[in-house]
Amino acid sequence: MPASYEQAVTLTGDLHARPAGALAVAAAQFSSAVSLTVGASSADAKSVLGVMGLGATSGQDVTVAAEGPDAEQAVAAIIAILAEATRVGA
Amino acid sequence: MNLDARVGIVLVSHSAALAEGAAELAAQVSGGTVAIIPAGGTDDGGLGTSAARVERAVKLADSGAGVVIVPDLGSAVLTVRALLGEAGDLPTPVELADAPFVEGVVAATVAAAGGGNIKTVVTAAEEARHARKL
Repeated sequence: MPASYEQAVTLTGDLHARPAGALAVAAAQFSSAVSLTVGASSADAKSVLGVMGLGATSGQDVTVAAEGPDAEQAVAAIIAILAEATRVGA
Repeated sequence: MNLDARVGIVLVSHSAALAEGAAELAAQVSGGTVAIIPAGGTDDGGLGTSAARVERAVKLADSGAGVVIVPDLGSAVLTVRALLGEAGDLPTPVELADAPFVEGVVAATVAAAGGGNIKTVVTAAEEARHARKL
C-alpha cells in the first residue's frame, strides 16, 4: 500500500512564477503523486502552469499532499520550497 | 546518451524579440538548467521564420537527450517541418510540440529541468493548452 502524507503551510508571500517553477522541478524528483490545495482549488505540483493557476497569495494556507513510496520526503521538500521561495523579496 | 543531459528547447517565432523574451522568461521560471534557444525572425532581422536559424538553434539546444521545438503560429510549423523533412545532420530525437507559445515553452522547460525525457517534455507543452489562468 503506498504511503500518503500531507502537511499545510501558510504562505508568507505570493506564489509567483519563479517559486512555482522551482516547486514543479522539485516535485518531479519524486515518484509520488504530489498535489497542492488552496481553498477549493487543487493542482498537480509537477505542473508549473497548474501551480501558477492556483493564484495563491500571502497569508493563504496551502496543503501539500503526496501519495506514493516517497510521499513524506516529497511533502517535506515542497513545504521547504514554499516556506523559502515565497518569503518577501525572494 | 548522457543520463544527466536535459532535453533542450527551441523557440521558433516570427519575431526575434518574442522568441528571446519567451526564452528569458522560461529560463527564469525553470532555474536556468536547460538550454533554451530562441530562433526568431528572418535571416535579415525581419518578421518571419528562417530554417537556417532553426537549424542552428536545434544544434545548440541538443545536449544528448533530444530537442523539443515550440512554434508560435502556423507558418512557423511549415518552416520546421520542411527542415525536419530534409536529410540533414540534425541531432535526434527532435519533436515539434503543438502548444500555446508562452505557456508551452514554460511548461516544457520546467519539465526538462525536472529531468523529464523528450516524451514527458512534449506532453507538458501540449497539456499547456488546458491550463487555466483564472
